[in-house]
Amino acid sequence: MKNALAWLLWIWLSVVIVGAFKYAPLAKGFIGESSRILFFHVPMSWVSFVAFIAAGVWSLMFLFGGRKPKHDRAAAVAVQLGLVFGVLATVTGSLWARIMWGAYWNWDPRQTSIVVALLFYGAYLALRSSLEDADSRARLSAAYAVLGLAVAPFLFFIMPRIMFSLHPQSVINAQGKIEVESRMVQVLLAGSAGFTALFFWLHNLQCRIESLSERKSALRDRG
Amino acid sequence: MWPRISTWAAEATAVFAKEWRCELRTRYALNTLGLFAFTTLVVVSVSLGPLGVSLSQGTAVLPVLLWVILLFSVAAGLPRAFVQEEETQTAIALRLAATPSALFCGKLVYGLTLVLALEALITPVYVAVTSLKVVSPGLLAGTLIAGGYGLAAGSTLVAAIIAQARSKGTLFSVLAFPVLLPLLLLAVELSRSAVAGDPAGVALPQLLLYDASVTVVGLMLFPAVWNP
Repeated sequence: MKNALAWLLWIWLSVVIVGAFKYAPLAKGFIGESSRILFFHVPMSWVSFVAFIAAGVWSLMFLFGGRKPKHDRAAAVAVQLGLVFGVLATVTGSLWARIMWGAYWNWDPRQTSIVVALLFYGAYLALRSSLEDADSRARLSAAYAVLGLAVAPFLFFIMPRIMFSLHPQSVINAQGKIEVESRMVQVLLAGSAGFTALFFWLHNLQCRIESLSERKSALRDRG
Repeated sequence: MWPRISTWAAEATAVFAKEWRCELRTRYALNTLGLFAFTTLVVVSVSLGPLGVSLSQGTAVLPVLLWVILLFSVAAGLPRAFVQEEETQTAIALRLAATPSALFCGKLVYGLTLVLALEALITPVYVAVTSLKVVSPGLLAGTLIAGGYGLAAGSTLVAAIIAQARSKGTLFSVLAFPVLLPLLLLAVELSRSAVAGDPAGVALPQLLLYDASVTVVGLMLFPAVWNP
């Protein structure tokens, strides 16, 4: 059953990748084929957003839901994967910015937000690695992740509004209207769904690996 | 209900008084913060050169430099409030003596008084040295108070986290910077408005909202951070 789901995900993402290049039309007002990178950039930034929210929720569950080690592990793995997707979103975004805006980097509010988010979760991992005791590592890093959850709205929602931005409107803009061609929306939504599923699949695998390696080291300690 | 609140207030006040008594014995934080801020200010002023910057550039650049000075001074001095408790092994006694929320508030108010004292000392010197013209001083003062509160609140919680880790000094900057950056951006925005005489706009309520949310989250998380 699990194997079938993994195969389904593989087929789904293959279709999305082909669709991004062959099925979706080019966006108006974009230089050359540059709009095609958005079919990867938008899902990557969406998944990193989901990962960081999930890490915050798992940290809350750890702190206020009985301090179960599995919640701590889930939060840490979500941050690791979220960082990978966040870096991919930043790289695809800045490649696109080079073509459209003429520079890889220009401190657009959204670029600022994602860099601060990456710094925050880098700091989270640095904090984890500098705490030796497993209990205090789980407790303190969970507290830090929840602090991040409280500060994040200021970056993600408020800062882009008060600073000047060249970033295109989100797929669904403030009026709740979809202004992108429907075949592009299909690919974007299918891609977002596919990469979100990929994230949860990787997350599940990594959590199981870490759980097994913890059990192994516990057994070794016992002799 | 009332006796509990008054015990809580007594605990918080005792923590605050203890912090200042310890501080006045060694004057460590005061000396570090004051000297660090003053040194950075001199470096900034010397680097800008005898002519300084032009009026239009000054509005854009000088508020940024002021907040950078304040941020790094805070990072140099404030973490000590908790690091010291772990180093002198007084944390256990403190855990027995005070409820976590009272302790957090006591430490927070101590940090706030320290930051406000620093701002009161540094800002006039900075304005004089860089010959910065502030059109609405009231707004600048309000920004310094609200921003200083946010700096103190964020730093207090992060300091409590890093006090229990290795490599405390560097870790504080790494952990505190992303948390304090929204505050810094808002404070710089408001200080620019104050210098130029523009209305405060939405940045002021957002700064106050930031202060409020860091306080609430701090009170919520501190028991988990403090008690093993």
